[in-house]
Amino acid sequence: MSTSKHRRGSILRSLFSRAKTEPSPSPDFVIDKGLKGSLQLRHVDVGSCNGCEVEIASAFAPTYDTSRFGARLVASPRHADGLLVTGVVTRNMAGALERTLAALPRPSLVVACGDCAINGGIFKDAYGVDGTLNSFVAIDVSVPGCPPHPTAITQALRSLTGR
Amino acid sequence: MLLAGLACCLFAIVVANAVSAKHRAAALACTGSVGCALIFVAAGRALLDGRVSTFHTSSILPLMGFDLTLDPLGALFVAVASFAGVAALIYSIGYAHDELRSRPALSLLMLFVISLVIVPVASSVATFMFAWELMAVSSTLLIVVEHRRRPEARIAAQWYAAMTQIGASFILLGLLLLSSKDGGTFVEVTSHATGLSLTVRSCAFVLTLIGFASKAGAVPFHVWLPKAHPEAASPVSALMSGVMVAMGVYGVVRVGYGLLGGGVLWWWTIVVALGVASALFGALHAATSIDVKRLLAYSTIDILGLVLIGVGCSGALTTTGHPGVARLALLGALTLVVAHAAMKSLLFLAAGAVERASGTRSLDQLGGLIRRIPVTTALFCVGALSLVAVPAFAGFSSEWLLLQGLLHGFVDHHALTLIVLLAGVVALALTGGLTAVALVKAFGIGFLGQPRSSGASEAREVPWSMHAGMLMLAMPCVALGVAPGLVVTALDRVVATVETGGGSLVKPGIGLALTHLHGMIEPMFLLALFAGIVAFTRTVSSWRRAPARHVEAWRGGASQPTSRMQYTATSYAEPLQRVFVDVLRPEVDLEVTHAVESRYYEQSLSYESQVDDAVERLAYLPALRRITRAGESARRLQNGSIHRYLAFGLVALIIVLVVLA
Repeated sequence: MSTSKHRRGSILRSLFSRAKTEPSPSPDFVIDKGLKGSLQLRHVDVGSCNGCEVEIASAFAPTYDTSRFGARLVASPRHADGLLVTGVVTRNMAGALERTLAALPRPSLVVACGDCAINGGIFKDAYGVDGTLNSFVAIDVSVPGCPPHPTAITQALRSLTGR
Repeated sequence: MLLAGLACCLFAIVVANAVSAKHRAAALACTGSVGCALIFVAAGRALLDGRVSTFHTSSILPLMGFDLTLDPLGALFVAVASFAGVAALIYSIGYAHDELRSRPALSLLMLFVISLVIVPVASSVATFMFAWELMAVSSTLLIVVEHRRRPEARIAAQWYAAMTQIGASFILLGLLLLSSKDGGTFVEVTSHATGLSLTVRSCAFVLTLIGFASKAGAVPFHVWLPKAHPEAASPVSALMSGVMVAMGVYGVVRVGYGLLGGGVLWWWTIVVALGVASALFGALHAATSIDVKRLLAYSTIDILGLVLIGVGCSGALTTTGHPGVARLALLGALTLVVAHAAMKSLLFLAAGAVERASGTRSLDQLGGLIRRIPVTTALFCVGALSLVAVPAFAGFSSEWLLLQGLLHGFVDHHALTLIVLLAGVVALALTGGLTAVALVKAFGIGFLGQPRSSGASEAREVPWSMHAGMLMLAMPCVALGVAPGLVVTALDRVVATVETGGGSLVKPGIGLALTHLHGMIEPMFLLALFAGIVAFTRTVSSWRRAPARHVEAWRGGASQPTSRMQYTATSYAEPLQRVFVDVLRPEVDLEVTHAVESRYYEQSLSYESQVDDAVERLAYLPALRRITRAGESARRLQNGSIHRYLAFGLVALIIVLVVLA
């Protein structure tokens, strides 16, 4: 009885409450890649500690909801405009990264998410590392942070979609 | 000329028996083909000028005589049988080896072709039953030819022999009901049948229908078909599936229209019900079969179901007084018989070539054949496109005619006819889709992609004579699709002799155009349109396209593509199998072995699924078990003691004496 009352109250309250979604700061600059407000990304983890994955997950979850700015994560590079790369390139994933890059339709772009993807971060000199991402492919947009805050990810992707 | 052809075919048997094993098949094919060609010309002349010629001799069958009549309806089936016969004989030059090259096997093959030619021209009850039994016995023996290598052939032959003999006895009973004391020729039977009461005629129709439906593989009398057709050697299964099952349809038309002259509505409702059941059941099983030849056998059940729907709707519309549309439906059904004979024989021959080249019939073991045996692949593709009813191939024109017949039938307002027609249209639409799934599976899994076994990867192209046989059947598949008007106008004249009401239906020409009704197709125009669209899109897209970049197929980042990453026939059919689980009743077995360390990890997974024939499992096997049990209990009477047998004799004598006194 009490729970149903509570629920009804919360439904009523939610009808009139303010948005639950965090406000997202607009990007400082816009990179025009001709995407016209829609960005499909394939996420590749080439050797991350999974910190960035947690932040990406919350960036696309309802609280930060990056999808409302036109960015989506897709299941195959065949469907994607670009790659969202996390982590430093490890030996085991170097080949997979190259094959994924080859599978992307052209023109394509690369977003480096987190310090490891940008410059190797704290794993730079680890024994299983093959190199940093920029030794494999040119990076178009970087999202610094270890891990980056979801707001930073959203902001960086908004700079590409222009919304 | 027909008799000369038959004589030539019989001579071929003699020749084949005289020649050494190496050239035996070639000798049989040469002489037999000449005979079949003569028969084909005779049938063609009867088709074109519509003349009826008869032949009677009292010397071949003692007491009863031997009556042959070549009328247009029979000539159509004779033409189909002789054409497919030549193709199968030529094919068997390259195909025959080991068992099939022996004297008895080749003689039986020729005898089978001869019987297929005699059945449609037999014009007395005795001759018809003689030819029918010859057809049954020769085909049964041909199934067991390879029994040493494949023990399943024995079981298949047992089923086939039992079913076909039960069917034949039903036909014999039905025809005996109709026969008069004066004689058993079909003319006498026809005049005698008009004087009989409706009950007797109905009994005769239902009895013969059961027999003919079991030959045509109609559900629930079909259980022999998916066993026997895959196990027979490929030229034999091509003839069985393309021609022999059509004899069931011939029988229904000959008895229903010819001997009984139309009948009443409920007769034809049964025919349509059989047709709808077999069309849906066959198409569903074809879509889930893994064995190529089994798939084709089920597809035969499906197409023959559609033919029965056409025949049944035609009969229903005749009885309710719409002869014009009835003719159209019958025309559609007969065109489908011709088209099916060409495409299904072609597909069975191609499946045999695949088996010869790779050593397997299982789609899950094939793959990548398009690079290794391109000619066979192309020929299989022609057959598959025809069967799926792609425009400009044989299946399309015939199914279009059938659909026109069914749709225009809605002018009739009898409730039962409307239900019958609606069921027919629905079955036609649903089986169209399911057949497409089955053939996309057969072609996509079997011929494209990468080989799944060493047999498939080492496949070698088959000899030229096998290609020649298949090519002969591929030609009518294309011809009937591109220029259907040429064939269908001849078939229209056949239909005119069967269903005399209503005028000519089809305008003469290359395409198909109906005279009284709205409806036409011009395949040449369709082809030109298609070519135009392709050319247009290619030019438009070439204007603003970046140069093509070739990369490997995406496989989730994994390094080497293996053949195990491909779809298999089982996995392709799995969603459909899941949707129709209540009809198919598959036996699915999933076995998971967990790792020793943790139940969260699987060490190995094994999945097995088998789709049995539900009708066989739920109806036939329990009945068989009951019969066996009854037989076992009867054995208790016999204990081997001479005293008991003497007592039986004494008791029987006393009973006889008491009864007589």
